[in-house]
Amino acid sequence: MPELGRAALVVTLGLSVYALVAGAAAARLGRRRLAYSAQNALVAAFFSTLVAAGVLLAALLRNDFSFTYVARTTSEALPTAYTISAFWGGQEGSLLLWLLMLTGFGAVAVRLNRSWARSLVVWVVPVFAAVGVFFSFLLVAVASPFATQAAPPDGAGMTPSLQNPYMLAHPPLLYVGYVGLTVPFAFAIGALLSGQLDERWLVATRRFTLFAWTALGIGQLLGAHWAYVEVGWGGYYAWDPVENAALMPWLAATAFLHSVMIQERRGMLRIWNVLLVILAFSLSLFGTFLTRSGVVNSIHSFTQSSIGPWFLAFIAVVVAFSLAVVFWRLPLLRSPTKLESPISREAAFLYNNLLLLALCLTILWGVVYPLLSEAVRGEAVVLGRSYYDFFLRIFGLPLLLLMGIGPLIAWRRASLRSLATTFRWPTAFALATGVVLLVLGAGSSVPGLVAYTFSAFVAAAIVLEFARGTRARKALGAASWPRAFSSLVARNRRRYGGYVVHAAIVLLAIGIAGSSAFDSVAEAKLARGESMEVGDYTLVYRSLDEQQVANATEVRATLGVTRGDRDLGTLEAGKNAYTIEQQVSNEVGIRSDRLTGEDLFVITEQIDPDGTIYFRVFVKPLVNLIWVAGLVFLLGSVITLWPDAREQRRLVSRASEVGVPATR
Amino acid sequence: MPVARKSSPARLVIALSVAAVLAIFLLYTSIAGGGNPSISPSELGKRTEKVQLAGLVTGPVRGDSHAAGLRFGLRDIDGDSAKTVSVLYTGSVPDLFKKGRHIVVDGRLRNGVFVAEPGSMITKCPSKYAPKSSSA
Repeated sequence: MPELGRAALVVTLGLSVYALVAGAAAARLGRRRLAYSAQNALVAAFFSTLVAAGVLLAALLRNDFSFTYVARTTSEALPTAYTISAFWGGQEGSLLLWLLMLTGFGAVAVRLNRSWARSLVVWVVPVFAAVGVFFSFLLVAVASPFATQAAPPDGAGMTPSLQNPYMLAHPPLLYVGYVGLTVPFAFAIGALLSGQLDERWLVATRRFTLFAWTALGIGQLLGAHWAYVEVGWGGYYAWDPVENAALMPWLAATAFLHSVMIQERRGMLRIWNVLLVILAFSLSLFGTFLTRSGVVNSIHSFTQSSIGPWFLAFIAVVVAFSLAVVFWRLPLLRSPTKLESPISREAAFLYNNLLLLALCLTILWGVVYPLLSEAVRGEAVVLGRSYYDFFLRIFGLPLLLLMGIGPLIAWRRASLRSLATTFRWPTAFALATGVVLLVLGAGSSVPGLVAYTFSAFVAAAIVLEFARGTRARKALGAASWPRAFSSLVARNRRRYGGYVVHAAIVLLAIGIAGSSAFDSVAEAKLARGESMEVGDYTLVYRSLDEQQVANATEVRATLGVTRGDRDLGTLEAGKNAYTIEQQVSNEVGIRSDRLTGEDLFVITEQIDPDGTIYFRVFVKPLVNLIWVAGLVFLLGSVITLWPDAREQRRLVSRASEVGVPATR
Repeated sequence: MPVARKSSPARLVIALSVAAVLAIFLLYTSIAGGGNPSISPSELGKRTEKVQLAGLVTGPVRGDSHAAGLRFGLRDIDGDSAKTVSVLYTGSVPDLFKKGRHIVVDGRLRNGVFVAEPGSMITKCPSKYAPKSSSA
């Protein structure tokens, strides 16, 4: 069996090389049949990768420990679901997943677009193939998932914290995001190479970009929720390099999704868009590199992992090649139109882009700073949490405000007077909210208060937009209000889906502000029967129980919770001691208030033999809005992604008037 | 850069934004400093400024982190330096902390003992995705 897997990967490498060489030759020489052959090779590469993936999956399910990879990542006792998740639990398997998704995305994107954008697609194929060559080469020559050994009696197993349902969905979603960003990259480079820099590449890739971006966003929120519920340190995001690795391409892709609208409507920002796509793709490679290479684990040594240097070299090649192509095509990228006024929709989008990019690049700076300072000063300097928090406030809060302004401002040129009219109500609502919150005591954190006020502004602006649109549809003859509302959304999914996503970001902002700026924490060492207070809660430590389960000893403390005079029942928190892995894990107790979104979060820091416990308790207001935001985000993305034949036709016909920017 | 001929506000906007970002950056570094050096136990020597110390936990691990403090040793993760720094730590101890783990603590050297800031300990995941055998 391992021979089949190895052979399939060699075939994939061969097909990718062929698709690259033949595709490039066909595009250069205008050979139609050869171009088709290259496209078919790309599709075939997907199937040969699928065979390799099938072999690995079968080996995992059979617990075939003669595969080194299987022996390293699983064990006999591991439940089947986690045996499957071991596919992406190690370096080689996740590279294989990358390649599988890459060839899959490539095949689908090429098949979907080759009839209406043929002259563009012929140039896209070799770009996909080049990325495929890199990954299949790594899998064949450097990090083969099909290495074999004399089978040990049992595998090494999986770290307990990864044996968790979140790990079934979180890593693959991030990978879908990372790999999906290859599609806009390949089309952008294809467009540059072909010299056909009309808006077709945007139309061809819009859904792919949105899909990848959604997966990346949801994947990150799942990771945050996992950290919050399972890791048990009382937070959900720690600005860890691995977390930042996913956030950076997401921010770049967010910027791209916005600026793309400016190019579609006004033909502007063409160079900018191409650069953003290159940045997003490079950052997704960098993200894979960070999570995979071990640079993060031991930030001191670059050479520890076998694939690290290869990845760095590939990223360098991608960046250098892409920038060279952009520079070469610079004359063709000049915009036929220009920004007319600093107060306009276009300008608002530009500010949004600059802020997103600034945030993205400051995070990148923070991530690479230890490496850079080590190279320059011989000593790694680490930028801590305060660095990231500072820049999140500096760039994130204006970004939040712009989210309310941008969608409502007029294209081309807006007058200050019209602005005053448009924003009268949102501003009044925001100010009223701010004053009320100030009276209620939210002034304890200025950034938190500002975040709330801005959120109120954006929320009001979004509601106003929906109300205005629904009223217009009703006036145009919709039968009822709900009918008017649904036809409003259905007729312009992109716009109103976008507003729903904005609403999700507002919820996220409120949740983050509430849980980080207005949280309270208390610690105390309690013997049984003693109590402590945190916020307006009172906790009584009632009893301690121990239970033996299959692979662990579970120790649980039971606490009685009251708030004022109200009895809120009991809460359990404790620790699990895993016998085989010799590892202890905190099992936190969380009580969520459905109505207010507030969490009471209990950690048993230390359990002494005599039963006294050192407790650490948080009250996190509004934290549940973060998870609600994830659902709303998904809803908005689905609305936007939902197939809309009419819109697609319009975009296609508009884009096929080559070189004519679509203005309306 | 999104370009247009002269007289377009785009250039001005971008130039001003870049300037603003740089100004903010300078402001940040002037008030918050540039972060802490991250060093290994063998590099600590007699240095007494605030640093981030990354190393491998050596026994014996003694004491109570929520009382007088937890005491343990740290030595280099790789390399063959046998130098061990004794550490005094208070505050939350992550689940994964034990002898043989890689950890990071912030703090400074005082009278030959590295006094860590309360709650600053981070254990490196025994590699987030990789098998545990490779990190043990």
